[in-house]
Amino acid sequence: MLENHIESKTALFADGVHTELRAQENRRRWLTMVQGNLAANGREETSGVSARVYKNGVYGFSSMAENSGDAAEAVLKAATENALFMDRHINKGKGMFPALEKGTVSTSQKLLDPEQKRYIEFAKEVDAYIEKTYPKLASRYVVVNVDSMEKRIYTSDGSNGHVLVPRSYVNILLSAETPAGVPVELVEPIGGNGNFEDNFTDPALLYPQIDALYEQLMEKREGVYAQAGYKTVVLGGFLSGMLAHEAVGHTVEADLVLGGSVAGPSLHKRVGSDLVNLVDFAHTAFGKEAPLPIYLDDEGTPAEDVVLIKDGILTGYMNSRETAEHFGMKPLGNARAYSFSDEPLIRMRNTAVLPGKDKLEDMIASVDDGYYLVKTNNGQADTTGEFMFGVQLGYEIKNGKLGRAILDTTITGVAFEMLKTVDMVSDEVVWTSAGMCGKKQPMPVGMGGPALRCKMMIGGR
Amino acid sequence: MTDLKSIAGQIGDEISKAGVRKAQYTVAAKETREFNVDGGEFSLFRTLFDNCLVITVYKDDKKGSISTNSFDREAITRAVSNCIQSAEAAIADPAYDIAPKQENKIFEEGSYEPDVDKLFARTKELLETIKERHPKILMEQMIVEHVKKHEIYQNTNGTEFETFSGSYGISLMFSGHEGNSTTSFFGSSVTTDNLDRPFIELGSVEKDLCDVEAQLSPIPVEGKFEGIAVLTPGSLGSFLYSAMENFVSDITILDKTSIWVDKLGEKVAADCLTLSLAPLDERICCGERHTSDGFLSENYDLIQNGVLRSYMLSLYVANKSDYAPAKNTSYAAVIEGGDTAYEDMIKGIKKGIIVGRFSGGSPSSNGDFSGVAKNSFLIEDGQIKGALSETMINGNLSDILKNIVAISKETVADGTSVLPYIAVSGVTISGK
Repeated sequence: MLENHIESKTALFADGVHTELRAQENRRRWLTMVQGNLAANGREETSGVSARVYKNGVYGFSSMAENSGDAAEAVLKAATENALFMDRHINKGKGMFPALEKGTVSTSQKLLDPEQKRYIEFAKEVDAYIEKTYPKLASRYVVVNVDSMEKRIYTSDGSNGHVLVPRSYVNILLSAETPAGVPVELVEPIGGNGNFEDNFTDPALLYPQIDALYEQLMEKREGVYAQAGYKTVVLGGFLSGMLAHEAVGHTVEADLVLGGSVAGPSLHKRVGSDLVNLVDFAHTAFGKEAPLPIYLDDEGTPAEDVVLIKDGILTGYMNSRETAEHFGMKPLGNARAYSFSDEPLIRMRNTAVLPGKDKLEDMIASVDDGYYLVKTNNGQADTTGEFMFGVQLGYEIKNGKLGRAILDTTITGVAFEMLKTVDMVSDEVVWTSAGMCGKKQPMPVGMGGPALRCKMMIGGR
Repeated sequence: MTDLKSIAGQIGDEISKAGVRKAQYTVAAKETREFNVDGGEFSLFRTLFDNCLVITVYKDDKKGSISTNSFDREAITRAVSNCIQSAEAAIADPAYDIAPKQENKIFEEGSYEPDVDKLFARTKELLETIKERHPKILMEQMIVEHVKKHEIYQNTNGTEFETFSGSYGISLMFSGHEGNSTTSFFGSSVTTDNLDRPFIELGSVEKDLCDVEAQLSPIPVEGKFEGIAVLTPGSLGSFLYSAMENFVSDITILDKTSIWVDKLGEKVAADCLTLSLAPLDERICCGERHTSDGFLSENYDLIQNGVLRSYMLSLYVANKSDYAPAKNTSYAAVIEGGDTAYEDMIKGIKKGIIVGRFSGGSPSSNGDFSGVAKNSFLIEDGQIKGALSETMINGNLSDILKNIVAISKETVADGTSVLPYIAVSGVTISGK
């Protein structure tokens, strides 16, 4: 457990400024097994303390790679000096934020941290199964990724906390050759919120997913190029989750709104059909803990859900305390920092399109000529809402029936135009928290959604 | 700063006491001063003091690695012990190795000590210059920093490299705005070792700002055609990175999914292409001086006059595959200017596009790529007709390297690479 050397230093918080003091430890354990070779085998721990001081519209920040009382004193002093330097040169003259309610938030999660041998033995067993069961694969990867963030947070408002978020995944990558000798591959991330010991009790429990992945790969190796053009598609849940995060979520982060995103002039306007609802969940969604639960952010704001789109109308932004003040909104716990040496930025937590009433089978049956897009390996969007997602697995839909698999392709569109074409929404949501969101800092995030029937551009030949 | 020699000494002693005969380790202390601008306004000043300790041990041909940022004696003892434990649990492979003894060296690179007041003044000057010269530009975020680093690398073959480096980094993220019209965002960055010139004169900062302002009234492409794509130095860099990852990197040679496996000495690109990885080039700021395996870094040609001359292999994969390890482990790409002026390159194109930025999925193992041409322009009859909206491009990384039509005389040196504009054929361009 992260030792508490900083609480007593809250007595040093200066008057007339907002101060945050944080101690943090990030742990990461990983290995990469390629064709049975252990290509990577590592453990990483980074810890330290940081302070951020807000004065008249500018911030000073400092961090030190040491979790100690002395380090806390040093960073408080340096952050205060930096805030004064900025105030002296910039002189924005802005006021204080509304005070947060005093209180303490603690998560009950306990960190389990087995020796590296545990991960290696697990991966070896999974790898042996793949090698034995599917000897004709061109290549196979078993990748273990386990990480956690533990933080102690103290603020000058007295809203404090001790939070821990662990995550563990085993990623399986299989590749095969097409009849023409071209390599094709598929990846399946397996795991989620929690310690490795919580999620992976027995390697054999992964085999059904590996078998399914192999079947999909065999379909893909016989796959065809998609026909490029503007098409009707059924976007599977992983892709609608990516859409929620990349194409909509980033544009409604309030710092990017101030940076000129398309969501600025779109607030309270229609950005999707009546069927489109989108929420950034804090820690609980649909009666269960979300895949990346956040209970308190790094500014000391207790986390609540942010409703971003309701019945097709853009209703809100994700905020820090500073941007919430600017937009006259309530901060709901989106200011998160990746490492002890990072300042909090506005980040998503668990961003999802809400489910509708349609059945996936009916949605596929309703398409005469289009595509069912299942897996994505990459997504990018810009502040105009124009997005691009890599599609790693998809199928043709011809006359309401699934056809041949398609080779890797790309889909693109403009979010607030494309969402207006959504005319069916499935009743089941799928989640993932396997990826890292990239902004100034990396950040684990959760994303999810149901299947959507809509229109968009698909690449191909 | 911290006494890194004594920390390295402790690690060496503990490894030796544990009976490990092959190991390498790096200890580093880093200080960062950083100014942030958000939404066009100064927002934050950061001062960071960080440490880094990376240990890799090889025990009975088994490898384990650990990294931490804690320098206290107990944490180091724990790190060495955990690292050995990781190695003991690993899979034995005789291909794991470190470089033989190299000549010990001390490297002094860039400006070790920052001039914080001048850095702030240059940042303020850049912000004011952009507001004056480019009023349609909204600076979403600007990060300007100085990073000072002291690092010691040692291994059990007796090699020691000590590096003192300091560099300034400028990173801009911006978009164009006028009335209801908004461009895609665009990033421009530069690394430099001095503050002698205004930041707007460095790299391609000024040209990038001009290009984004010119993207405010985009036009769609009609239909689909195969044309010439002019890759700007920025987009060329990202295509080259993908090609290197897919065709010559450790993993794709190890699992043999690279389509350039067994192509050493063979033609893989147009005759006019020579691509070097050159961290020691004087235009590269604080480039790599030793590899991660403990060799002294040297510049080398990856592709020379179209012929594949090397893979980018670590010592481990080199030993597994019987190829030579790469002479450096950097991505400091250098392509010298060609014989066509950029203006003449555009004049010679009947129909094509200038690709300012490629937003696409990771290319397939065979190099097929498909994505959106962002911050891009349409060329018709030798003239730039206007900026493009919602335009997709498809092609193959291997094919475009073979289909180079022209290389510009002009190059952009941003401190991390030196790249020209390159015109390639065989790219499919399609509109909505």
